[in-house]
Amino acid sequence: MLSSVLQLVTWRIEGPVMGNAEALFLVVAITIITYLSRGGMILLLAGRDLPEPVTRALRNVGPAVLAALVVTFVANPDEANQGVTLPEGLAVAAASLIHWKWKNLAVTLVLGMIVFWVTRELF
Amino acid sequence: MARSPGEIASLIDRDAVRDSLPLLVPAVPFGFVLGVEINDSLMPLLFGISTSWTIFAGAAQLAMITLAGTVSAITVVLTALVINARHVMYSAAMAPTFAKQPRWFRVLGPTVLIDQIFALSLTQAEQPPEKFRRYYITCGVLFFTMWQILTIAGVFFGSAVPESWGLGLAPALMFAGIVVSMAVNRPAIIAAVTAVIVTLLTLGLPNRSGLLVGALVGVAAGYLADRGPGDG
Repeated sequence: MLSSVLQLVTWRIEGPVMGNAEALFLVVAITIITYLSRGGMILLLAGRDLPEPVTRALRNVGPAVLAALVVTFVANPDEANQGVTLPEGLAVAAASLIHWKWKNLAVTLVLGMIVFWVTRELF
Repeated sequence: MARSPGEIASLIDRDAVRDSLPLLVPAVPFGFVLGVEINDSLMPLLFGISTSWTIFAGAAQLAMITLAGTVSAITVVLTALVINARHVMYSAAMAPTFAKQPRWFRVLGPTVLIDQIFALSLTQAEQPPEKFRRYYITCGVLFFTMWQILTIAGVFFGSAVPESWGLGLAPALMFAGIVVSMAVNRPAIIAAVTAVIVTLLTLGLPNRSGLLVGALVGVAAGYLADRGPGDG
């Protein structure tokens, strides 16, 4: 019974496989790290009055992090493409203007992708 | 006691469903890519799939799955640590809103504090605590459930979405829209623009750490700009 369960856990469709102990260590360690990164400040700071400069700084976390994420997603630095192409830049600029005008994420996504597809053909 | 369908429906926040759906679409190719990588990884299949319900962090999962078995375990963990570091900022930014919530929610809520839910729920921070909680939980359940389905689908049918569609750009477009809706005053605009410029300049840094540098400099620039008159 135990060996059947282990076989199921270690099964893969094809190719070599790493050891269960190392895989388990990675999953547990990164699960803990991820939870602490998301919950640490919430649990530490909850119920405390933050100093005014801290709350003022925190107000800018959203726009700054998400703007940095936009660049990271477009430039895709994990892959060979490490820049922003003209169609990508135009699509992001268009999406920003479209959202400013209509404030609807579905419209922003659809029109932004259309701008990307059209400009990709043109340039 | 079992809840009736009507009671369950009353727990769902319709605003959250409406706002989440456009952000779920771009997650489809990402989930598929993750599924394909899980299948190609040296990690045992069920351990790979389990990362979607234990870790639930696309970028960190992708890095972990790709690197597992090819570098030391410590290197994999440190890479995930760097990639997840932005969540510390999310956590700090959400702390004042979570402070008004019950303890069980403060403990469980952060498990689903992904990029999309941070972006969506930040727009609801001024809502009454109960409304915020229902909105956040609805988003969390939607994204979590979708991610599990996508991961499994990606493992088995990952090559079905044509790369030529370029759907990898979709999250950037959505987030650009959300940034625009957040940039309502001069400090926020300066924070966003500075973050864009610095992130572009630091793209070459390893493990996406340019993202952190850009975000931190952006926050600092917004903070400094907040001292001027007339900033809300």
